[in-house]
Amino acid sequence: MTTMRVTQNMLTDRSVSSLQLGLSRLATVQEQISTGRVLNRPSDSPTQTTAAMRIRSSIADQTQYVRNAEDGIGWLGTVDQTLAGMSDQVRRARELGLQGASSGTTSQTAREALATEVEQIRDGLLAAGNTTYLGRPIFGGVTPGATAFAASGAYVGVPGEVNRTIADGVKVRVDVAGTDVVGPDGASLFDDLDALVVSLRTGDTTGIRAGLGALEGRLEDLGSVRATAGARYSRIEQAAQRGRDAVLDLTTSLSEVENTDLPRAMVDLKMQEVAYQAALASTARVMQPSLLDFLR
Amino acid sequence: MAGTLSSLNTALTALRFNRVAMDVAANNIANATTEGYARRRVEGTAIGAPAQPAMWSRYDGVGGGVATGATERMVDSFLDARARREHGAQSYLDVRAGVLRRVESGIGEPGDNGVAAAMAEFRSGWHDLANDPGGDAARSQLLARAETVAGAIRNQATNVATEQSDQRYRLQAMVSEVNTVASELAATNANVAVAKLNGTEAGTLLDQRDQLALRLSELTGSVATVRADGGLDVTVGGVALVTGKDAGAFQITGGVTASGGDDGLPVSLAVASGATTTMVPTGLRGEVGAVADLLTTTLPAYADGLSAFARTLADAVNAQHGAGYDIAGTAGQPLFSYDPADAAGTLTVALTDPDLVAASGVPGGGLDGSNADLLGVTGAADGDYQRLVNAFGTEVASVQRLSASQGLLTQQVDGAREQLSGVNLDEETVSMLQAQRAYEAASRVISVMDSVLDTLINRTGLLR
Repeated sequence: MTTMRVTQNMLTDRSVSSLQLGLSRLATVQEQISTGRVLNRPSDSPTQTTAAMRIRSSIADQTQYVRNAEDGIGWLGTVDQTLAGMSDQVRRARELGLQGASSGTTSQTAREALATEVEQIRDGLLAAGNTTYLGRPIFGGVTPGATAFAASGAYVGVPGEVNRTIADGVKVRVDVAGTDVVGPDGASLFDDLDALVVSLRTGDTTGIRAGLGALEGRLEDLGSVRATAGARYSRIEQAAQRGRDAVLDLTTSLSEVENTDLPRAMVDLKMQEVAYQAALASTARVMQPSLLDFLR
Repeated sequence: MAGTLSSLNTALTALRFNRVAMDVAANNIANATTEGYARRRVEGTAIGAPAQPAMWSRYDGVGGGVATGATERMVDSFLDARARREHGAQSYLDVRAGVLRRVESGIGEPGDNGVAAAMAEFRSGWHDLANDPGGDAARSQLLARAETVAGAIRNQATNVATEQSDQRYRLQAMVSEVNTVASELAATNANVAVAKLNGTEAGTLLDQRDQLALRLSELTGSVATVRADGGLDVTVGGVALVTGKDAGAFQITGGVTASGGDDGLPVSLAVASGATTTMVPTGLRGEVGAVADLLTTTLPAYADGLSAFARTLADAVNAQHGAGYDIAGTAGQPLFSYDPADAAGTLTVALTDPDLVAASGVPGGGLDGSNADLLGVTGAADGDYQRLVNAFGTEVASVQRLSASQGLLTQQVDGAREQLSGVNLDEETVSMLQAQRAYEAASRVISVMDSVLDTLINRTGLLR
């Protein structure tokens, strides 16, 4: 039988290298616990690193989609309120027109009063048509200017859609074209009101009745525009919620990929610590004795 | 019959042998921790009958004591060659792993501060601009984020370039170390040959010779063969570097300029001996091989990948940016600029005026954000970057694994060498005690013989 020859140097080298090994394992677990991450550099797990980078990119995208959607909700909320206010005003103008029509015989003074009020309503509607959100007229399309309608009631906006990206490749329009709300120039809500004012002043009952009919049509238009905007509002709201849920889910996945499983790491740490202490103790015992201790 | 006094002579040989044995043990103990020392052992051979005592005579003795043989170095040339090979492979992998780990730590992925994070911020900057195409804040923020992306990419390119430059200096330092060690080995070879010729004890020279050859293998992965005169011939990649007492000059012939710069060529090495210069084939092991590979293949590959990614990113952004219109309604100018020779290292943001960011998809100066929206879409560049990081991470992980498993092999071979050549203090103590006792016993033999002769000479025939 051949026994392996063991020398003091071998013992020293082996002890030192196994102590180093124990210490480096301890350092690895310690790094995982102190940084809270198992992925500290790409080589820790190249595949998981790619996954983590993709998830991080998706989280950034989804967070941005939520921000876009929240911005869109602001726009559409303003659109909805403005359209509601405009409908009320048009309805009021129609009532005034009705009064003028039914009391066709009333005095000039009374009709003048009705006409003045309709004029005020027209100004109110013009102001509503120029409502802004964050400095931009909501019915002005992509206009760089501050108004969508001139004082004459002419459309001065720049046609174009204001969209918000609420998911990958999904866009939702958050404004309403001014011409959809009040009709085209020359045949717009403001023109109708102007005509009504003239009819009221002159006591032209046929004109007033025609104006009433036009206003009826405008109310329907406003209603349908508002319904469309409302549908978009609920869609964008759902998208925002979906985005928030996605961020939550993705963050959980990222944590599963990147973060340290603490209880397991603590158990690992304890194990490595025990192993290291055992290595230290055994080294201390092995290095001590020598034949010289037993010779006189 | 043997002569009466022959026992005295036998005891004398024992005294001599055991004194040498004690010397050897003492020397072994003294050198127990000396690097590269192989333990010695003295061989004793019993002196018996001479093969041919003399003409017409015969030998009738029982043995003439012990002859002190040569001190033997406990080494195995096969194990030494094996150790040189494994050390060459180990130092190749260790240097490679060390450098790659350093480059990797500069990548900073996955994390909040790497290129990927900067790209995500850049994308969301475009979305913010799409939401508010007229806003100065959104425009300035976008330019700042574009600068962050360019800066992060430049930073990585600089890290790799710095590492390459460091490694070029290191290669020069290593080549000069190779030359120093090679000429020391040649000088040692000459001394060994002389010592062999005049019969001087050459153990220390041989220890030195083996150590120098091992260092050469660690540096270049060289192969050494033992000469008849006791020296070692060393070849690097098949090209003779040390032949007997002559050492060639190891030199860099391409890849690194004399001042440590880059000449754009792959690293090439050669050995000049006398008037002839022989090119060393590529694929060396050892530290020199590792640095040559890093400089020729690995680091340029990562730098090129980074540049390709920077080009893809800049071209895609510039093309889409050019399709849009800035706040004044004119077509967008390129957002990024770079030097095609070093895209990653020279990537900069070309625009400084926030108004020139082309967020609008329609001409004429409207507050449209559709082009910004298109710019905020994840492009091919993101995937390119992820693949680049993944490939580099895989390479680092594989080198680390290889280095660890080679470490086990190297440890095993070193263990086997130590097992044969290492000094065991207990063993030396035992042989010292043994020699001491034998010395005492031989002295006793002499005093016994003395008293025997005293009896014979002084007392024979005396009655009282």
